[in-house]
Amino acid sequence: MAEHPQALKDIIDLCAGLAETERREMLISFADGAARQAPQPGESFDLEDTRKDEECTDTVGVFLRIDDARLCHFRITLGPQVQTLTRAMTTILCQGFNGASPETVLDAPADFVPQIVGAELVRLRSQTVYYVLGRMKSAVKVWLNRQRAASA
Amino acid sequence: MNDKIAAYAHPDVLVSTEWLASHLDDPSLRIIESNEDVLLYDTGHVPGAVHIDWRRDLNDQTVRDYIGPEQFARLCSAHGITPDTKVVFYGDKSNWWACYAFWVFQLFGHRNAAVVDGGRAKWVAENRPLTREIPKPSTAVYPQPAARNDAAIRAFYHETLAHMQAAKPMVDVRSPGEFRGEVTHMPEYPQEGVLRGGHIPGAQSCPWATAANPDGTFKSVDELRAIYQAGLGLNPADDIIAYCRIGERSSHTWFVLTYLLGFSSVRNYDGSWTEWGNMVRSPIERSTP
Repeated sequence: MAEHPQALKDIIDLCAGLAETERREMLISFADGAARQAPQPGESFDLEDTRKDEECTDTVGVFLRIDDARLCHFRITLGPQVQTLTRAMTTILCQGFNGASPETVLDAPADFVPQIVGAELVRLRSQTVYYVLGRMKSAVKVWLNRQRAASA
Repeated sequence: MNDKIAAYAHPDVLVSTEWLASHLDDPSLRIIESNEDVLLYDTGHVPGAVHIDWRRDLNDQTVRDYIGPEQFARLCSAHGITPDTKVVFYGDKSNWWACYAFWVFQLFGHRNAAVVDGGRAKWVAENRPLTREIPKPSTAVYPQPAARNDAAIRAFYHETLAHMQAAKPMVDVRSPGEFRGEVTHMPEYPQEGVLRGGHIPGAQSCPWATAANPDGTFKSVDELRAIYQAGLGLNPADDIIAYCRIGERSSHTWFVLTYLLGFSSVRNYDGSWTEWGNMVRSPIERSTP
């Protein structure tokens, strides 16, 4: 099974032992930080994918930069109607996958998500919690396909 | 009570944000927030409001059904609600889930209830206070209701089928694309496992949002009459079923028809399209734009 990046492991460890109330506080704190994951002035990207699609309540933009060491750096923009859980996952995943290889992101098993958000929230809103992860993996997959096509 | 609210058929079930702001310390009230966004309450809520989640608190956890009388009594007791408490609901998404929770409370006959016009969005837009402090109301005594009274305001599949066969009025409150069968979910929502797109034969399309203003408040009684009576040809004495995807948007329309326009026999088919669209041998219609 693929290993999670250390930054993501740290977040998983941070959340794993929390009681439900503390976990919610932690998620809200991550959600409050979502705006800071947006692209910063002067940044450029290898792939930009902004769209409003069926799995989310507002527009989500995923911006991917691959550095010279072939490591991923994500930025994400969220429309104002995006739900709190999705905003929390945005911060968690941007931090957790920052500096990971494209293959690590693509192969990351989604079973870490319930460890972070907790079984109750997964049960209550199972369709919300995986959305941003799916968009990030999709961006990486497109970038990898482009690389393969360019080198063919 | 403002003039707009006073003009509705049952003005006692709708309160303004101004009214709520002036009753935050009223001990005879229990304010209840009910949302789609499961963490929204935790980010800040109307002072004194408790949180009721439609899936965690109102749905049975193993049967696709609502909680029973014993669980309802326990839920109310835990939130300091007695049969005499006025429960005031508000929430996100133009009060979909507030209306849904209101509807579930009516299944148990809790008549002393109201919805905040404009819901959470209007309260926030008016810069009214929010707090993260979770109230801890003293446990109250809520006697277990004798039964959950589904018959008057809830429709099941076989009843909806009979209703369709009798060509009685039915309102499909989903988006136009869902009604036509082009999509099987709301435009910005996940697919929830419906096999077929379309609508119940004979149903008229009237999306829930037709009844709401951009700020989430309900339209005036004259505007609502124009939509449902002049537009759809519905009469206050008609036997009507409203449905959507899982019964949340149709709770909003049920509330409008029953309380704002005073229709006497409106039922919410909560099985809605996730049941009808999947049911073996249930007939459907599709239409073109």
